[in-house]
Amino acid sequence: MLYINCPHCGMRSQNEFSYGGDASVKRPLLNKEVSDQEWDDFVYNRKSLRGKHLELWHHISGCRQWIKVERDTSTHEIFRTFKADEEVV
Amino acid sequence: MTSISALANVHKKGQFGDFEDKNEKDLLKISEIKNLLLVQIFQYKNSKIKLENIEIDELKFKNEPLSVVNNDNTRILWNGPKNWLLVSTKKELIKDIFENFNETDFAVTDLSHSRAIIDIEGLNVKEILKKGCPFNFNELKKNNSINTTYNGLVLTVDMLNDNPNKVRLFILRSFGESLYHSITDASLEFGFKSL
Repeated sequence: MLYINCPHCGMRSQNEFSYGGDASVKRPLLNKEVSDQEWDDFVYNRKSLRGKHLELWHHISGCRQWIKVERDTSTHEIFRTFKADEEVV
Repeated sequence: MTSISALANVHKKGQFGDFEDKNEKDLLKISEIKNLLLVQIFQYKNSKIKLENIEIDELKFKNEPLSVVNNDNTRILWNGPKNWLLVSTKKELIKDIFENFNETDFAVTDLSHSRAIIDIEGLNVKEILKKGCPFNFNELKKNNSINTTYNGLVLTVDMLNDNPNKVRLFILRSFGESLYHSITDASLEFGFKSL
């Protein structure tokens, strides 16, 4: 079982969270001409990296906030967590 | 208006489990609580209102994890960032709440009839909770509250007292019976008195 440090509540079990996908995907800007390829990349195409990865998680059974989690997809080690609106440097 | 019991079909009074040859004082006590005012208060993200200026039943809202501000009648539980659950025996507070929290800055929802509430009191309360929750209950002190899961059911745990341990569990009304079964099953080995 993973333990995730929610930036709002503190250390909690993975059971309380729901996975939300890749956090590095950016939605195409509004009012911008968007090609089919760009939409395809935004909606479907993921790199599915092996290694450090930035993910979205929803603390659905806790504070109900979306958070970002930096996790290694091969070892499951969690390095850092951020609030959803925090910039990751 | 009096609340209709959410646990009427399952909550039976008496002593159950391994209660024989034990002092009644040492048994866990499980009871259903009714007729409380429950109000969820959520401050919108863009709201600039400062909560220091707002008081309900002489209590100020605290935006801190685990925190519960309380007096004899009312408890304000932190449920998430800018999100609280107000629990009170004073039903008339609802008027104050609607007057103080304007609808352009806050979402105020009366949940009084949509939760089942179970109180558990006794030495082994934390052992009962540990059986179904992934949270480390040794960290939970008096006047702390958390949202977590018990056997997969999402609930709010409010630590009312720590000597002896007393917790109040809030759960969606329709899951109340499932939680009650889970809690009473977990309590059988210690013996419990249903009030």
